[in-house]
Amino acid sequence: MSKRLWAAAAVVVAAVALSASAAGAAGETVGSCIFDELGEAQFEGIEGDGFTAVKELKTQYKAGDKHAKELKEDFEKDLEGCLEAPNPIIPEVTEIIWGGAAFVVLLALMKWKLFPVVKNLMEQRTQRIQDSLDDADRERAEAAEVRARYEAELADAKAEAARLVDEARDQAASVRADLQSRAEADIADMRERAAADVEASKRQAIADLQSEVSDIALGAAEAVLGRSLEDPEMQRQLVDDYIARVGADQG
Amino acid sequence: MAERSTGYADAVAAVARAEGNLDVVSDELFRVARALEGSDELRMTLSDRQIPAARRQQIVEDLLGGRASETTTAVVSMIVAAGRSSDLGGIAREAVEINARDRGRSVAEVRTAVALADGQAERMAAALGAATGHQVDIKVVVDPSIMGGVVATIGDEVIDGSVRHRLSQLRDSF
Repeated sequence: MSKRLWAAAAVVVAAVALSASAAGAAGETVGSCIFDELGEAQFEGIEGDGFTAVKELKTQYKAGDKHAKELKEDFEKDLEGCLEAPNPIIPEVTEIIWGGAAFVVLLALMKWKLFPVVKNLMEQRTQRIQDSLDDADRERAEAAEVRARYEAELADAKAEAARLVDEARDQAASVRADLQSRAEADIADMRERAAADVEASKRQAIADLQSEVSDIALGAAEAVLGRSLEDPEMQRQLVDDYIARVGADQG
Repeated sequence: MAERSTGYADAVAAVARAEGNLDVVSDELFRVARALEGSDELRMTLSDRQIPAARRQQIVEDLLGGRASETTTAVVSMIVAAGRSSDLGGIAREAVEINARDRGRSVAEVRTAVALADGQAERMAAALGAATGHQVDIKVVVDPSIMGGVVATIGDEVIDGSVRHRLSQLRDSF
């Protein structure tokens, strides 16, 4: 971590130093740049310097001098250089040096004082986060375990419920079959008894009817006989018949 | 009870033999027993132990005096005084049997709805004698409940020719 940080800082400083330009490093405005260029202008083959030399070059250029034209074009390029914007990122070299030195000092101070504190805080935070993650993992594991246990218990409960339902269904089927068979037996028994009752009633009715008929017939016979038996001759005849029959049977 | 009746009957027969009138006594005793069977009031009176024995004997003597032999009256009085009036029927039958055996005969109890006409008793005795193979003395009992005909009992054998029996058979046939 520390080595990578130092390497990055060194790369930044080198890039800034290498990309610094002269104009940018001057730190002057476009006007002062043009003014300086005009004041310090010197041209090959033209006498004088500064504004005078620029004025002479203009005269010769207007006169159609080919050499003056080339000088004019080179001078215009130098002036256009004043129009180049200073680098918004790259400071001047001195500033880079001072800034870099301050950066190094600040970096050293930070590494010496701040980084350990920050590192310690980071480590504590990391540790807290790690502890939190560990706690979360442990709680997740515990939750997973609880969930697994709950799911197992739920599965057991479902299995037990299914078993109870099956058992209840079997018992219900058994009870239903038992009740049905018992009801069928009762119905058969009732039918049999009803048939027996009907048969007995029929026999009793026939017997009663026969008894009634016999009573009537016997009553009529007894009435007739009663009147006949009041006749002494009839009684005598019955005794005579008895005597004759006993004598005949045994004789 | 049958054994006791037999004992009384033997005693009665012994007394009658001693008096030389077993035939009469047995017949009169049988008739008295039949009369007793036909009168509930008389039977209950003679069986009532609340009534003094002397009073019951007096009733017997009042009823039989002049109508039966002295031996029969004395025997019946003795049986009633002993409180055995309810056994009088059995004693009479046993006495009749003893009398018949003494003469080499059997006894047939003949029940009829009305009294037998003249000559029917002799013909009945002859017919039953022919049926049993030996001579038979008949004792006639008038029993209107048989309605008509005859029921003869000789020992354990019963020859039922009564109208009541025939009606019963007819009822059973239904």
